[in-house]
Parts: sequence; C-alpha cells; structure tokens
Amino acid sequence: MSLQNEEMEVIIKVKRFSQDKGSWWQEYKLKVDRFTQFTEALRRIKTEQDPTLAYRAACHMAVCGSCGMKINGEPRLACKTLVIDTVKKYGSNVITLEPMDYFTPVKDLVVNLDDFYERMYKVKPRLYPSEEVLKGEAEHRLKPEDQRMLWKFAQCIWCGLCVSSCPSVRNDPEFLGPAAHAKGFRFLADPRDTITEEREKILLDSAWRCTYCYMCYNVCPRDVEPVTAIKKTRAYTKLAKVKSPVIETGEKHTQAVFESIFESGKLEEAKVYLSTYGVIGSLRDMIYLLQSGKLKYALVKEKPVENISEVRKILRGE
Amino acid sequence: MEKVNYDVVVVGAGLAGLMASHEIASAGYSVAVISKVFPTRSHSSSAEGGIAAYIEGNSDPNDNPDYMAYDTIKGGDYLVDQDAAELLSYKSGEIVRTLESWGTLFNRQPDGRVAVRYFGGQTYPRTRFVGDKTGMALLHTVYERTSGLGKVDFYFEWFAWELIRDDSRVRGVVAFDMRNMVPVFFKAKAVVMASGGMGMLYKHSTNSYINTGDGYAMALRARVALKDPEFVQFHPTALYPSDILISEAARGEGGILRNNKGERFMARYAPKKLDLAPRDIASRAILTEVKEGRGFPGGYVGLDLTHLGEEYIKERLALAYEAAKSFAGIDATKEMIPVRPAQHYYMGGIDVDITGRNPDLIGLFAAGEAACVSVHGANRLGSNSLLETLVFGRETGRAVVEFLRSYSEPSSDIDKEAEKAEQTAYDVVKRESGVHFGEVVNKLREVMWEDVGVFRTEDGMKNAVSEIMKLRDMAKDTYVLDKSKVYNTEFYNALEMKNMLDLALVIAVTALNRKESRGAHYRLDYPKRDDENWLKHTIAYLRGNTVEITYKPVKMTKWKPEERVY
Repeated sequence: MSLQNEEMEVIIKVKRFSQDKGSWWQEYKLKVDRFTQFTEALRRIKTEQDPTLAYRAACHMAVCGSCGMKINGEPRLACKTLVIDTVKKYGSNVITLEPMDYFTPVKDLVVNLDDFYERMYKVKPRLYPSEEVLKGEAEHRLKPEDQRMLWKFAQCIWCGLCVSSCPSVRNDPEFLGPAAHAKGFRFLADPRDTITEEREKILLDSAWRCTYCYMCYNVCPRDVEPVTAIKKTRAYTKLAKVKSPVIETGEKHTQAVFESIFESGKLEEAKVYLSTYGVIGSLRDMIYLLQSGKLKYALVKEKPVENISEVRKILRGE
Repeated sequence: MEKVNYDVVVVGAGLAGLMASHEIASAGYSVAVISKVFPTRSHSSSAEGGIAAYIEGNSDPNDNPDYMAYDTIKGGDYLVDQDAAELLSYKSGEIVRTLESWGTLFNRQPDGRVAVRYFGGQTYPRTRFVGDKTGMALLHTVYERTSGLGKVDFYFEWFAWELIRDDSRVRGVVAFDMRNMVPVFFKAKAVVMASGGMGMLYKHSTNSYINTGDGYAMALRARVALKDPEFVQFHPTALYPSDILISEAARGEGGILRNNKGERFMARYAPKKLDLAPRDIASRAILTEVKEGRGFPGGYVGLDLTHLGEEYIKERLALAYEAAKSFAGIDATKEMIPVRPAQHYYMGGIDVDITGRNPDLIGLFAAGEAACVSVHGANRLGSNSLLETLVFGRETGRAVVEFLRSYSEPSSDIDKEAEKAEQTAYDVVKRESGVHFGEVVNKLREVMWEDVGVFRTEDGMKNAVSEIMKLRDMAKDTYVLDKSKVYNTEFYNALEMKNMLDLALVIAVTALNRKESRGAHYRLDYPKRDDENWLKHTIAYLRGNTVEITYKPVKMTKWKPEERVY
C-alpha cells in the first residue's frame, strides 16, 4: 500500500473585500500535493504569504461548518475540497475563491451569518420532551429505524451553504429556507417531542413555499437533503387544522398534478393551472398570456399516453 | 473601555462550557459565554467515537462503575485522582440519560435502548455513540438546550484575552469583539475556563485550527498553575497525511493495525488487548514499526477494516470511511486506511479539584480539556473526554452556583488592570516592523513535534526549551500588517501565538523535569515508570521566562499502583 502523491503549482485567486476598499481579486501562487485541502491552502497562504487574508475555518473535517465559500463558483466547504481535485475537474490550475452568496460580506471570505441563525432559531431547534422524561421518571426508547431516519436530518452543521444558494430564500421573505426546514423536520418527526402542533404552525406554510429546485440537495456537504425534509413536512398538512392560502393553493396544485397524470399520464399544464388557481385567477393570467402571444401554448391538448391503465395502477398503488 | 456585568463569565462554548452555563443559568444567575467561534463550531464537534457510560440495566451484566473507574485509573498510569475517576464513572449513566432526554440521537439496539461498543482499555464495552459523530451530536443537543433557556448571553466570535484578578480573586475577563476589535471588560463574580485544548502547538494534530491553548495561557498569566502540563496525548490513528482523526471506534469495531508485511503487529506490544490497547501504547507501537522499517514509505501503517463489510463500515464508521475516501483516495471497504500518530488531546490543564475549583484564585473554575481534574492522569482512555466535559461541566456549574450563594462584593478597583490588558494586546498592532506570527508559529509547531512528541529525550527537550526561548524573544518583535479593525484575524492569530508560546515553554520545561516514563510521557532515556520518585502531580507556574515547578500527591482511594500490562 503506497499512496500515489503528486505535486503541482496552482494559482489561487481570492475575491477580497473590505469595507473601506470594496472588493478586488488577489492572486496567490502555491505548491500543493494530492492531499492538500483548501483550508490547509488558506492556512499556508496566511502564515507564509499574506497574514491579512480573512476566512473562517476550524475542524477541517467537515463537521463544524465554518468554512463555507464558493470554489470556482461552486458552493463548497473548503475543508472538504482538495485543491488538485478542483484543478482536474475544471482543467485549470487557476482557481477562484469567493465568499458565499446571499449573506452580507464582512471581510474577504467572511460573511455575516446572523440571517442564517435567525432562520434556525425560528423553528425552535431543540427537543421538547415530556416532563416525566426530563425528570428521569420515564425512559425514551427509539426504534433503530427511527433513529436512522432522524439522524439523517439532524446532521446539519449550520454552514449556510444551502441558504446561500436557495433562490426561494431571496424571493420569498416568508420562506424559512432549507437548513431551518431540515432542523424543523428533525424535531417534528421525533416521536419524543411534545410540541408537534406548534411546529406544524411554524413549518407547514413555509414548506409550501419551496420550489423544489434541489439546489440545497446539490450543495449540502453532509447530504442532509433539506428538500426531502420539506417534502416530508408537507405530508403533515393533512393534520393541520388551519390552512393558510399558500397551503391551500399548494394542496390544490398537488391534487391537480395527480389528476392530470391519472387522466392522461401527462402533466397538462393549463388544466393543472386552472385547478390550482381557479377560474378567476386563471382568466386574469390568460389575459397576460394572450397579450404576449403565448396563449396557444397553454391550450395545447394532450392525448393520453398508451397503456394509461398501467399508469393508473401505479398511482393507485396497485 | 466598555464594561459589562455578569454573575459568571464562561470562556468557551464547547460541551463543558455550555453544560456549566446551563447549570448556572438554570439556577437564576446571569451568564455570558465568550467563544472565538459560533458554539456549534467548537472543537467538541470533532469528537467521534463515543461517550463512555455504565448504564444500570443497559450494560454488560458483569460490569460495574468500579471497573470503569479502575480502567480509567490504570489507563492513566496511576496518575489519576481516584476520587475523580469514581465520580466520573458513577455519574456516567445518568449524564447519558440526561443527554438522551434532551434529544441526542444515540444509536439504538433493536429493542430501542441505547447501543454500546468497545473502546481501547475497557474491560467491558461501555462506549455509547451516534455513528462516529458523537461529539457533534452531543454539542448540538447541549447548544440547542442551553440557548433555549433564553437566559445565557452568547458572545460568539469574541476573543477572550486576559483574566483580570485582584490580590486573591478573579474579577472578570477582557475580551475583544472580533468583528470590530473593540475591547470589553466583562466583570464577573466567577469565571469558568472551558476553553478547550491546544493541538495547534504541534505540527501534526487532529485538532481544530482554533485550538491554540488560549485558556491555559490566560491562566498562567494570571499566576494560576497548570497541573501535569507535560502530558500530551497522541492518537495512534490519524489519517496520513492530513492528520484527520480516524476514530478509535474503528479499532473498537474490530479494525486491525497492520505493517508493510501485513502483520498484526500489536501482538508484539499488547498481546492480550491487541489493537484495543490504549492510545499511548498503540502510538508508540506504530512509530516503532515505522522506525524499524516495517511501515510504508512516508511513515505510516495500515488500519484494516475490510473484513467488517461494506454496510457495517458505512453505518457505524461513516466519517472514517468518508475521510479516507475524500482525503486519501482510499476505499476503506476494500483497502487499508493509511494512519500514523498525531497530537490529539491535552491531559494537563488548569489545576482544579473535583468541583472544578482552582486553588490559586478565588472564583476561578475550569472544566473540560482546559482543566486538569485529573481523571485522565498520564493518558486518557477513548470515550472519557466527552464524558468528562459533561459530568465535570455540570459539577463545575453546580459548584459555581454554591460559590455565588456565599459571595461578598469586593471593594478594590480593578479597572486599571483591565486597561493594562488591553494595552498588552494592542502592542502587537502598534509596531511598524518585525516578524509575522506565521514564522514563529510554524517553527514552534515543528520543534514541539520533533522534541516534545511521542518519544522524548533529555537532549531533545533541552533543545526545545532553548528554541522556545528564542521564539519568545522573536515574538517581542511581531507586528500586524493588517491595519483594518474589521474582522482582523491577523491580530487574533498574533495573540494566539503569544498564548501558544507561553504554554509551550511550560510543557517543555515540565517534560524535561519528569525523569521517568508514564503514560503519554515516554522518555527513551528513562523508559520505566518510577512510582517511588514520580507518582505525583506536577504543578507549574509561569513567572516571566521561568517555569516554577512544585508537586502535589495523587489522590488514592481503592486502587494500588500495579504494572500496566495489556
């Protein structure tokens, strides 16, 4: 067993920022080997070349969530990314490092995460066990399969990468964002928790504001899959006593998608739109479509797929 | 300088600091927690394998807390205070149950009870775990719980710099807001140092970049002693070459160490315990294999998990599998993981008793890796550090509450002291030329690794002491190039460097002074343990450039020292 090493000179271009000077690009030349993580590259730049460079890093093993940044435009943990792998992936030994998007830059690669933490606190990120358990009078037992399922969503390391890359967070101030939903679901689904109803109030409306773009799924360094947590949270809607307009629209939309596929095996967008938003809402939007000459696309009539009976069997769960 | 008042200031937001804060705030006192990082970034998150606990009704039927205390004492090569080891063992089950009730997702047995596995040096399996991210799971739980109290003020990304004291008691902490370099004097009736370890003193370490020994140095400068500072633990299985921890759980679950001939070489060093020998023994065994030509080129051995099966590895040793894959390009289900020892833990620390109270300074407490209680003695058993942070974090919190109940207001004015502390920090910024922190720190880390590492000799350590002295001289001329006040990490790195140098000197001098081998302190020139002369705790003060050493007896209850064989 001998590890194959290789060495290479790379140019790391860091997008720097200061409140006085604004932002500028600065280049650092560095020799790295096959095993050099970006956190180590940054440490070496700071101790050997330029002590003024600012970044966050702590554990260098992808459990503390400090070192989120953009590497060649990709949202990544610096510690979980090897320099040479990036060179190979992009076919260039020039690599850019930038701060995460969305959050306000503070200095160089350091951003202000207050917005992220506020999102997390909104979902009451802690277990509320029963009094008997807290007093030690009763014991929790947890099935191994429940433990495994919950642990998947409990592994969020608060790095902020998912929020930085989520388009819905930017467009919809009422959307809690992916990390908070993963955290919220981890407690919502925990059989040991006692405030389920309150959690539903916090999470359900927001869950229907996600657009399922899967950016959080793509960038999460711990494979938490916030989007899966959001899907599972939506399933709690049927228990909700009061439903917000967003939830009602969402439920109608889901039902409409189901019906469209059940009838034709296809997603008939005009029909789905009509069922989701109702006649008046749809008419208003149709006027816009008419004005922009796109109405004909909305009114395309879909023929059912062959073997539609097979599709219906699947949908019925047969 | 701005001043704020709290009943208690806790330095550090890892498991020990949060647990102490939880206890103090729950009793109704005001608490400020000062941390260089957001609490979930603390180094506790990196602890992997598990937390040891004897749980009534959920342990091996032959086991009991006395065996657990015995294993800890023997593992620590009899430098352990036995009352502390007993307290740790007897409270272990209860603390795990508390954490479970707060939401920690411990791995389960099929019947729903908390699962268990073996760790090095345990007579019976006692390690409770959450995959191999136990530290992270516990840290998140305690942070979530403590922040939920709504009574603790978290000052995260604040740099605690100096303890402020009067003649006899602690009066607070001077800390800087890292966002803008503004110093604040946190006045307090009591201070808990829970500032974690010091791995950055060593070139090879499994620790976080933030572990620069700040708390030890703050204590030393406040004329407070460190206990047993010469005892530095090396973990046998750090991933080559990145030094990322490959949890001891890998050996606990059946992983085997092999040399370049494929031999299970631990049979030579610990014929009974084999790969489950404690860390000091396994670390020396690996380096001996390498030195005698049975390692792989570059200086490492193999950790073989392949016989455990893919599914088992990926569930129970997920992080080890992922680290080997991401950082060494090794598929641990098919190949051996390349490992070598690296600095891992600091057994030494701020001298405290089993309530966390420091004898030098009234109102000063310490817990977790920052403290030396001492439950680890000369060598810590795996799974005991997470346990220590929680048990002694809580004990310390309770002792602080007791202390506050009988507290009387001092009359002396100490604002001048706080201003002096601010000045000593700013001195590094004001200089116009000199050396940068990086030059000093890189050199220091090499010296410590080479000369105050796994194997130690008189000559090596003498060399280390003189090198550290030179670096301390050099450090008088360090300056900060970055003149901005916003998130000036260079300024804090320079302060960390000062802390590292203060601590390094104490480690090197006390190690040179202890003329025997015990646990992690292994001297080639004195290879035997010498109970007659050295069964005692080192107590070290730093006065300028001088390290003053005295000794203190080890507390014995039930167990007489015996030869340590595995």
